[in-house]
Amino acid sequence: MTTPIIDAEAVTVTKSRSGWAHRLTLPTRQECVLLGLLIGTLLLAGRLSPDFLTSRSQLELSTHVWELALLAIPMTLIILTAGIDLSVGSTMALCAVVFGIAVHAGLPPLVAALLSLLVGGGAGALNGIFVAKLRVHPLIVTLATLAAYRGIAEGISLGRPFSGFSDSFTFLGQGSILGFPVPGIVFLIVLAVAAVMIGGTPLGLSLSAIGFNETAARYSGLAVARIKLLLYTSSGLAAGMAALLFVARRNTAKADIGTGMELDVITAVVLGGTSIFGGRGRLFGTVLGVLLIHEVREFVSWQWNRDELNLVVVGTLLILSVLADSLLSPKKR
Amino acid sequence: MLTITVRSLKYACLLLSIAAPIVGCTRPPTGSASGSNSGGSVQISSGAGRRVKICLLPKKKGLAYFSSCNDGAEQAAKELGDVDLIYDGPSDGAPEKAASLIETWTLKGVDAIAVSPNDPGVLAPAMKAARAKGVNVLTWDADGQPDSRAFFVNQATSQQIGAALVDTMAKDLGGAQPSGKVAIVTATLTAANQNEWIAAMKEELKKYPQIELVTIKPCNEDQSVAFQVTQDLMKTYPDLRGVFGISSVSFPGAAEAVKQAGKTGQVLVTGLSTPNNMKPYVMDGTVKSVVLWNTQDLGYLTIYAAEAIATGKLKAGATTFTAGRLGAKKVQGDNILLGDILIFTKDNIGKYDF
Repeated sequence: MTTPIIDAEAVTVTKSRSGWAHRLTLPTRQECVLLGLLIGTLLLAGRLSPDFLTSRSQLELSTHVWELALLAIPMTLIILTAGIDLSVGSTMALCAVVFGIAVHAGLPPLVAALLSLLVGGGAGALNGIFVAKLRVHPLIVTLATLAAYRGIAEGISLGRPFSGFSDSFTFLGQGSILGFPVPGIVFLIVLAVAAVMIGGTPLGLSLSAIGFNETAARYSGLAVARIKLLLYTSSGLAAGMAALLFVARRNTAKADIGTGMELDVITAVVLGGTSIFGGRGRLFGTVLGVLLIHEVREFVSWQWNRDELNLVVVGTLLILSVLADSLLSPKKR
Repeated sequence: MLTITVRSLKYACLLLSIAAPIVGCTRPPTGSASGSNSGGSVQISSGAGRRVKICLLPKKKGLAYFSSCNDGAEQAAKELGDVDLIYDGPSDGAPEKAASLIETWTLKGVDAIAVSPNDPGVLAPAMKAARAKGVNVLTWDADGQPDSRAFFVNQATSQQIGAALVDTMAKDLGGAQPSGKVAIVTATLTAANQNEWIAAMKEELKKYPQIELVTIKPCNEDQSVAFQVTQDLMKTYPDLRGVFGISSVSFPGAAEAVKQAGKTGQVLVTGLSTPNNMKPYVMDGTVKSVVLWNTQDLGYLTIYAAEAIATGKLKAGATTFTAGRLGAKKVQGDNILLGDILIFTKDNIGKYDF
């Protein structure tokens, strides 16, 4: 399973914490807690409102979560290296605005979309350069770009909304193939690519190693800077994709989209069992975390029509899952 | 290592066994009552006794302004008798969440959705999709894109509001030829409502050549920003005579700044806000007049209109519409007009509680 690219110590550290080989196949304790909560939520939903559980409702409601789900993938990998990217929501806004301006300047949607992805990747790479090459703490770097990217978005759009995109573009956000929403397909492709990269190449192990002990990882010959640059760039790229999905779904590009998105994404990742201190976590947990938050939120607004209740519920969920995890965990940690 | 995972599976079973009975306990009583909380079971029959499900969506939930609209809406629902009213909206005012709510309600098969769009562009696709699925969509408080709704319940035309604001300021400044420098503190520079009112205010200001509008500043719908902006205005223009706070948030912020600067009476503040918000400033003299419409009547009229549209009583082309205790209301094109501006002063503000 493991590859010899990494030194013995890092492997032992990884293994002693939770067992890398088993993590690939069996659910972790946190994931079992999440699965239990998810099944409980769905059972409750099925009892109280059977219409909520129909595939038509579920597919339609799923359109609310794809952007969050997409952003959660690179965020998981970044947090795995003990980093963080607070700028994803702002990068989304920047990419959306760039797309809107480009289309209104007469560029074809496809070119505008590529330009927008390029800007997203560039914004992410800039984060990456500061984090990886200049070794500034990611919290500070992305806190700065959280403000800066949104500022640029507001500046270049002058606060104007852009709308009226062609049907061939809005299909990306509103359409479905064989009954499955297009944004969901985009998400599944990105997830598959990320899963293969993490599970099928040494990269996954490298990320955990960096998260546990960056100095050790560096001395053992890992290209820490290059990996980090790659991660932050892909996070920016994902923000660009999320922006395009959002714009296509709502047919509007504006500088205030994705506000507060970063906190939702981080909440889902942490709920999914990824340690905020790095080193421990995996994509499966994140998918569960996203799914749980999504189902609970949608059901609360479906059943009780109380948006304010949702804030409380998501907070409670996070505390409960962490509490359950620490209560069930062996004492030695 | 294996023991950990085995244990974790054990805990999962444990959790499930705990969850199952909880779920079992909350099973709703079977029979006639189950329809009331299942949410999704709207009957489609057209006979008498059919309930009309109406959703009222505010720009932001939790603001006193919208809560008072909801009070009126609940009153209307009770009077009509056949209405199930749902009042919900994004507690952070995020337009994409408002759009998600519209989609959820459409799925549940409600009869009518009344939207106060916090961003007409973002909400338009969801509103159009709802209409395509047979839901009656109308706007209230603020209008959306014309093809995204059937009617707009309009509290007052922007001309009425702009004129009322300027005339009130002129009256408060006093004299046959009111004069002085004034400034506007608005919500955001892109807010559609506010920009229309500002255009109408500029038009009305032509009547008063001695009043000079020196600047327009945004407060980003944040009371503390409005406070700071007004402080800065008083420093930049020491001879400033008046401030218009034209959102329910910028008005109290501006009034507090004038009060704390000890310029009560010297700098006059007027604007749009709810009476309860402004009562203390009106009582201590910082604010002479508050301009608004009756928000409870607005919510009341919206529900009457939504019910009438959903049941086919109100159709496109109508010119009047009778809404319960409000009597006959004018319908101008696709605008249902509430049409009364209320001015609150020291003398009458005590009579209103919203």
